[in-house]
Amino acid sequence: METQRDEFLSEEDLDLRDLSEAELIAYWNLWLKQAQASNELDEKTYSHGVFETAPD
Amino acid sequence: MPQTRRGLSSPFVGNIYLELTEQFNAGRLRAIISSGQAVVLHRLAIMSKDGDWILWEDVETMSHILDVLAKSGAHYRFGAPLDVRWMAGGWSAHFEFRTGSLRIRTDFVTRPPRLDDASLAELWKLDPKKPVLGLTALAEIKKTNREKDYAVIGELARLMKSPREQLLYSRSARDLLALTQAHPELASELSDQRPLLRETVAGQARLEEALDAERRTLIHANEQRLARYREASKAWATAWSGVEKEIGNLSLAAAHEIVVARALALLPFAP
Repeated sequence: METQRDEFLSEEDLDLRDLSEAELIAYWNLWLKQAQASNELDEKTYSHGVFETAPD
Repeated sequence: MPQTRRGLSSPFVGNIYLELTEQFNAGRLRAIISSGQAVVLHRLAIMSKDGDWILWEDVETMSHILDVLAKSGAHYRFGAPLDVRWMAGGWSAHFEFRTGSLRIRTDFVTRPPRLDDASLAELWKLDPKKPVLGLTALAEIKKTNREKDYAVIGELARLMKSPREQLLYSRSARDLLALTQAHPELASELSDQRPLLRETVAGQARLEEALDAERRTLIHANEQRLARYREASKAWATAWSGVEKEIGNLSLAAAHEIVVARALALLPFAP
C-alpha cells in the first residue's frame, strides 16, 4: 500500500535533483531570463533584507 | 516560468550569481550565498530573481564587495550603506545592475535574522569552495512572513540528516508523527525548544493545527521585526529621492561616500 505524504513543492521543482550541474545552471539561467517579465511589477519591492518597498 | 526543462543541452555555462560569488570570495571567504539562490543550489526550487549574500563583517569585506559591484556597473537601491556600522545593526544593503537582458539585484546582510552569535560563527566554518548556506541556517532564514517560504522549510527538513534537525524543522505532521514514534526520547527532549512536538500524542489533526499556528506565530514575529526597521528608516526613506538624485551620475565609490554621509544623519546604526 502506498503511504500518503505531505507535499510542499511541485514535482517539477523537486526534479532539479535529477539535473546534471550544467543542466541545472542552464535551467536556472533560463528561469532568470524569463522571470525578467515581472521586472516592472517588482520594481520597488525587495526579496531579502529589512526593507520591504522603496520609497516613491 | 520556463515552458520545459527537458532536453536542455548541457555545455558549460556560467551563472551570474555563481560568478559574483566567486569574485566576492577572491582571495578569502567573504560571502555566503543565502536565501533563494541557496535554495536553488540545494536543488529544491528556483523561486527568486535576486541574489542574497551573508557577508563577513569587516571593513575589507565591505570595500571588496563594493569594488566588485562597481566593476559590474551597480548602483545603490534604497537601503542601508554597505558599511559595518549599519550592517552590525542588522540592516541590509541593496544594489542593482544590468547584464545583457538581466536585471541583477544583489542584497547583503552580515547579521541574518534568527541566527544567534554561535550559529553565525558556525557559518564561516563551511568549505570555502562551496559558500552556500547550510540547511538549518537556511531554514531559520526562511522563517519569513511569506507563506511560500514554509513550503521550502518543509523540503529543507527532508534533506536534513539528523532526526534532531528534522524534529526541529519538519513542517509535515505525518513526518513528525513518524519521527516521534522512532525517537520518542529525543522528541520529548526537544519539546521545550519546539512546543508543538508535545501535540504528537493528540494525533495528526491536532498536530496540523499546531503547525499552522506555529507558522502564523513565526510570520507575525517577522512582521514585527521588519516593522522596527521600517519605523527606524522613516527619515531615511523620506530623504532617499534627494540622495538618489545626488548620486545619480557618480561612480559607485563616490556614491557610497555620499550615501554614508547622508545616512549618518538620518539612519540609526541599529533600529
